[in-house]
Amino acid sequence: MAKILEMPKLSPTMEEGQLAAWHKKEGDTIQVDDHLADVETDKATMEFRSFDKGTLLKLLVAEGSIVKLGQPVAILGQPGEDIGDLLASVGAEGGAPKKPAAEAPKAEPAPAAPEAKAAEPARTGASEPEPHPEGRLRASPYVRKLARERDIDLREVTGSGPKGRIVARDIESLPAEKPAAARPSPTPAVAGEEPEVRPLSMMRKTIARRLTESKQTVPHFYLTIDVNAAAFAQLRERINADLAAAVPKGSDAKPDKVSLNDLLIKACAIALVRVPECNATFTADALVFHRRVDISVAVAIAEGLVTPVVRGADKKSVVAIAREVRALADRARKKQLSTEEMTNGTFSISNLGMFGIDEFAAVINPPEGAILAVGQVRDEPVVENGQVVPGKRMALTLSCDHRVVDGAVGARFLAELRALIERPMQILVA
Amino acid sequence: MKSVRFREALRQAMIEEMERDDRVFLMGEEVGHYQGAYKVSEGMLERFGPKRVIDTPIAESGFAGIGIGAAMVGLRPIIEFMTWNFSAVAFDQILNSAAKIRQMSGGQFAVPIVFRAPNASARQVGSQHSHAMEHFYAQIPGLKCVAPATPADALGLLKTSIRDDNPVCFFESETLYSLKGEIPEGEHLVPLGVANVARQGKDCTIIAWSRMVHVALEAAEELAKKKGIDVEVLDLRSLRPLDEEAILRSVTKTHRAVIVGEGWPYGGVGAEIVDRIQLHAFDELDAPIERVQTLDVPMPYNATLEQYCIPQAPRVISAVERTLYR
Repeated sequence: MAKILEMPKLSPTMEEGQLAAWHKKEGDTIQVDDHLADVETDKATMEFRSFDKGTLLKLLVAEGSIVKLGQPVAILGQPGEDIGDLLASVGAEGGAPKKPAAEAPKAEPAPAAPEAKAAEPARTGASEPEPHPEGRLRASPYVRKLARERDIDLREVTGSGPKGRIVARDIESLPAEKPAAARPSPTPAVAGEEPEVRPLSMMRKTIARRLTESKQTVPHFYLTIDVNAAAFAQLRERINADLAAAVPKGSDAKPDKVSLNDLLIKACAIALVRVPECNATFTADALVFHRRVDISVAVAIAEGLVTPVVRGADKKSVVAIAREVRALADRARKKQLSTEEMTNGTFSISNLGMFGIDEFAAVINPPEGAILAVGQVRDEPVVENGQVVPGKRMALTLSCDHRVVDGAVGARFLAELRALIERPMQILVA
Repeated sequence: MKSVRFREALRQAMIEEMERDDRVFLMGEEVGHYQGAYKVSEGMLERFGPKRVIDTPIAESGFAGIGIGAAMVGLRPIIEFMTWNFSAVAFDQILNSAAKIRQMSGGQFAVPIVFRAPNASARQVGSQHSHAMEHFYAQIPGLKCVAPATPADALGLLKTSIRDDNPVCFFESETLYSLKGEIPEGEHLVPLGVANVARQGKDCTIIAWSRMVHVALEAAEELAKKKGIDVEVLDLRSLRPLDEEAILRSVTKTHRAVIVGEGWPYGGVGAEIVDRIQLHAFDELDAPIERVQTLDVPMPYNATLEQYCIPQAPRVISAVERTLYR
């Protein structure tokens, strides 16, 4: 008896995924747990494995398609079995699945209508709404009208009505108007040289949505300090030299290495313990001060960036942090990180020093209250005891959510951080 | 301004119109010598004499038909039924004659007649005498249906109905006859088809008519006092013509609607209003429209069960809260 295979839930928050690649083709024999396809969820690429055995009779979606949870993707059965009824029930055509090329460059913004809710923690901080079994977005007609008028993406709104229905009170607290600037221009300015149009990946959509939400709803302000990084850079070299020396002669084992960023993660963790007001989240009803120090580390990968989290960074040694960051970054580049590994940080660090950036300001990673932007260590003349001598400087910019972190609090955090960096042995012993 | 009872306002309307126009006369059971089954026509026989205040036998079909015939040849009758329940006997006359003659005669005959009577539940009059009959009549093209809630509207609407050149069904309420209210000095006319905002509010619109306006106002006061919910109460006054504009205006303001009316929930005026709202104000709705109606049973005689079946403020309050997802 042939059966329909549906898009499974491959992460706790997944509502849709992009079928990145089929690993089996029509006619292939399938065993239980065979790797059928790769599915790109909002951040990670997951393996879609078979729960049944049989013969793959029909692929219903093309590679590159966005597929909602529970939507049919293939038909499994016995060779030669008649699947006409099943095909009719899913509304599929006889031919090969079409590439979703037509839906790639959409000029119009996607309608707010029946789309799945984004895989995101509830905005209100309240309990998660009950998920809609069929993934349909429920909203009152009035809410849909308001959403059209104010350009609100209802997929980002948590509904408080029955079955998660979004009702007027759920969007009354949202900002009144979103600028229309985000709409892509419908036609390229010059004919002839058509631009290369790349359909948005799931990750790019998530980045766009999250950062837009952050920059539009979180009141950012920025505090910059320029610290003496000579001792800090020196400490790192010393640690690495000692770690290398610790490897027995003749051994193939690779020595551990510590980066400036690893030291900064630990330094920030210590400073956050000392200034817990900076380790905080704003919610609609209350300020939340975290009792854990979980630091999100921005990692650039080919498709964009991800922010794996180093949990309990205040309690880990610098070497342990270094190993963990390396492993996380490695898996991030292979797109193997789970959603859990990338969410629920309490503070972020973004370091562009390795790209030669002197100083910049980062966008806060909600619901965190602050993010530290780290520039490169610069060789600069400095004045010491009335003498100009070669020195090392590093610019650090803290972006704060003013709803929870005030200027004086941010300044206190940076003062602690400066003290740690300029007398860096504390980082190792704190 | 002076304060009068509902029945006195009706009497004043009839007296003023009979004095203004000698084609107007009153006919029905007990309207003369008995001074009216509910004392609405008290003193009128003495004042206008037996040619203009006519007692009839217990024969609704007969005197309704006589009234329609009189209207066709130029008089302006007011036909009083003892209650609208008894109009069932005269239904054929109203449906097939009063409502149709203008159209079937190609406009040669008009039927300027008013049928008036108490309507809907009273106190323990049993299932056969507790009908909300407006739902049957409001469905019929060719008839107008009016259902006032206050003495002032009873006065103004009845005068306008008597002057109307079409048959008007005028729905009163036995339990409102003693209600006191202020009426303006001088001639007071209220146009048909114009609803009245009985209470301003912003959170939810309650649409009601006749006695249910008072139930709606009671619910609104309680919602304001205990729950901080600000309800708008729209008194329709006319069911046909229906003030669709006022309904849509209020729902566009509040985005929620509860309709409160006596009569069974299957079909009827309430269902008609729901349809108009969903058709013309779909995008304004934040919640399904609720209806609070008489329960879907023949009215029980038992006093407790009867009150349970009739719409009361607590049921209205629950419905309003549901539209607000509380």
